[in-house]
Amino acid sequence: MVLLLDLLTTASMLFVVTAGLMMIFGVMKIVNFAHGALLTMGGYAAFVVTQLQLSPWLSWPLAFATGVVVGAAVEYFIVRPLYKRPLDAILATWGLGIVIGQLIVMAFGREVKFADTPLQGTWAILGVDYSAYRLLLIPVAFGLCALLSGLLNGTRFGVKTRAVIMNEELASGLGIHSGRIRFITFSLGAGLGTLAGTLITPLSSVDPGMGLPWLVSAFMLVMVSGHSMLSLMLTCLVFGTCQVLVSTYASPVLGGMTLALLAALTLRIRPEGFARG
Amino acid sequence: MADATLLRNPAASATPRAMNPARRMLPLGLIGVALVVVGPWIFDSYVLNILIKAFFFAVTAITVDVLWGYTGYLTFGQSAFFGMGAYAAGLVFTHYGFSSGGVALALGLAVVVAMAVAALVGWLSFYRGASPFFATVISLVLPIVISQLLLSGGQWTGSSSGLTGYETFDFSLEVWYWIAGALVIAVAALAWVMLRSDAGRVLASIRDNESRCSYLGINVPLVKIGLLIATAAVAGIAGFGYGAFSGVVAPELTGFVLGTELIIWVALGGRGTLWGPLIGAILINVATAYLSSRMPFAWQLILGTAFVLVIVLLPKGLVPLLLKPFGLGAQTRTAAELVERPVRPAAQAVDTPALVMKDVTKRYGSLKVLQGIDLTAHAGQLVGLIGPNGAGKTTLMRCMSDGADRTSGTVHLCGNDIRRRPAEDCVRFGLGRKFQNANIFESLTVAECLRMASTIIERPSLFRKKRTLALPPYALDVLRATALDAKLDAVARDLSHGEQQALELAMVLALEPRIVLLDEPTAGLTKTERTQIGGVLSALAHRYGLCCLLVEHDLDFVEEIATRIVVLHQGTIVMQGSFQEVVNSDLVKTIYAGSAHTPQEAA
Repeated sequence: MVLLLDLLTTASMLFVVTAGLMMIFGVMKIVNFAHGALLTMGGYAAFVVTQLQLSPWLSWPLAFATGVVVGAAVEYFIVRPLYKRPLDAILATWGLGIVIGQLIVMAFGREVKFADTPLQGTWAILGVDYSAYRLLLIPVAFGLCALLSGLLNGTRFGVKTRAVIMNEELASGLGIHSGRIRFITFSLGAGLGTLAGTLITPLSSVDPGMGLPWLVSAFMLVMVSGHSMLSLMLTCLVFGTCQVLVSTYASPVLGGMTLALLAALTLRIRPEGFARG
Repeated sequence: MADATLLRNPAASATPRAMNPARRMLPLGLIGVALVVVGPWIFDSYVLNILIKAFFFAVTAITVDVLWGYTGYLTFGQSAFFGMGAYAAGLVFTHYGFSSGGVALALGLAVVVAMAVAALVGWLSFYRGASPFFATVISLVLPIVISQLLLSGGQWTGSSSGLTGYETFDFSLEVWYWIAGALVIAVAALAWVMLRSDAGRVLASIRDNESRCSYLGINVPLVKIGLLIATAAVAGIAGFGYGAFSGVVAPELTGFVLGTELIIWVALGGRGTLWGPLIGAILINVATAYLSSRMPFAWQLILGTAFVLVIVLLPKGLVPLLLKPFGLGAQTRTAAELVERPVRPAAQAVDTPALVMKDVTKRYGSLKVLQGIDLTAHAGQLVGLIGPNGAGKTTLMRCMSDGADRTSGTVHLCGNDIRRRPAEDCVRFGLGRKFQNANIFESLTVAECLRMASTIIERPSLFRKKRTLALPPYALDVLRATALDAKLDAVARDLSHGEQQALELAMVLALEPRIVLLDEPTAGLTKTERTQIGGVLSALAHRYGLCCLLVEHDLDFVEEIATRIVVLHQGTIVMQGSFQEVVNSDLVKTIYAGSAHTPQEAA
């Protein structure tokens, strides 16, 4: 039972962390390597809220807002000139990650911080006591998935976005402001990134390098899942399961590598990923 | 390019002739060599210590530059090979002891393990249709996996604190400095000679246009895997040197943070040049050693900011910018001399048809694009393939030039069954394909493009640059007819549309194909150019006995040169015959005009 909950919560965490990257990679084919730094920023947003002795719930909107603002600036100054050079965009966003990381170190120092958890204690579920916060992540992830799917599939913005994904020139020709769509998507993706950083802080510590381990996992998941939120959810479930099983039954170190290795092999055998699974 | 090659005196492999065009770079090279020789007398031991490590890093940076700057494969993974070399030294000296046997074992392991892992990574990263993103992602996974393995090695690998205090070479700092300096010079010189050689241009052509490379018969995945293995060996040796010198190895040496630092050095220095990354790696390492203690956070911040700025604003890096005022760093192009080479005799009997397609179909899901195609063409024939848009003409061409493309049916090229083989094998069977849009190597010169096209006929030298450019007579005809022979040193990007088309045709012909596929060769050409191309094509079929297949909308043009017309409609061949037969047939009129009752000029 605990194992099942572990599986579900791990998959939820993976999804939450990956969703922001998905928005950016799925729509713009830009690999945002600053995602790790965005996660870290989210962590520090939670820390700031704790320091100010506000309600921990406030850290969620604060993180999201910070992310959107930073994302908007990054899109405008760094990503926009590099649309035609996707490999360089990887590097520029990676460099940006370094810059953000160093700024955080200068502002908060290197040492590990702790942030308050919005929800403490455990809930008894089907006869086991399980961390309430971890359980909370499950509905959060599914809610996010539904919300984003709805946004992409059910709204006018979503239709325009998909038009830009499919054929940018044609979309521009039809009067869709593709630059603005990209701008909004990037800001939104960045906001989701910082929000995810806040969401995972109660389960890890806050330190300048906290985003990095997630970056590669998130990146691999996005590569494998193609560009629909549902397939991303599915991918998170499958790979999260493998990761938890290996960590539980083999060793945690191997578990840490499972996701990356499996994803690499999956892509080698099925280059198009799960998208049309 | 294993250690045996590295140890060879690079000056011996660089012929005096190859040195000529780069005489301007000589002073810079001499300053570098001089600094390595006299270093111990001008630097104190602190600086020497930093420089020795920087030299080993610089060697690795060069391998990143070769892979990324020259070949276009962005890799975060070279640190893994460097770390493997370092750990080979650390592990062997710790557990086996330091002896001459131990040294040989460690160095051997550093090279062999790095090469074996590189082969595996290469297999994972490079296959037909792999996206460059994917290869980059794999290169990111590699250092992570290796560091995790080292972290989980417990006592044996020293886990997170690594290995330290093992016995190693008892050299003085000066000797280490010379060893590391010599390694940098040797690797840089070797890379310089090889990258400028004819074989080195293959890397640039892969960076420019991978699909054209495979349609010139170059096995791109294999070249990339080979290159990765070679650079891994070099990085492994550098790592071994680092591990043996420093007496400390830690998991960070294999990590992807170092991998990204390597990229930063190369990017700031100037990718695609050798000096840039070399100077960049050494200077940034020295600066980091000094500044990271004085202003630990600000320095990283400055470096990160500079990196972002350079990537966005100055993709070529800083060192080329600094060298430019001195007239250095500019590519020198030597004019090649055109010579005619005899066409290879056909390998098989003359009566084997050049092309046989039997019951070929192509489906996308339930959509049938081609159905039951039976087509035979012989040497000396010029077959015109016509049909309305969407009839499947280009798809048909794809099915005969890439074994993976068709859904079912068989294709024989000059008697060889192509099975599911990739385009480069079809090219080796005698196929040459000219695309609709000029598909050339934009950053290469005309002469270099043509030399690339001859790669499968004469293996390019790894060390030398050939003075002459030998082409079959019909390729020369194309060059002369379009006056491209006077523009051999022009960069392909700067040519006019018509010239680019002619260049691509000449490249295809330089393959000495038995079957030439041409997709709308006259699209976008002027009337004069059209006549020239027509003359060339007729000569190919009638004088040189090649089999030509062309897709063409311009029926006047087809009438002039084609010996046979094949009409394709909705994925099937509806008619074959002479031009007159086809043009006067009601069927064709129906297809083109939509209805047989309102006869119109098909043309």
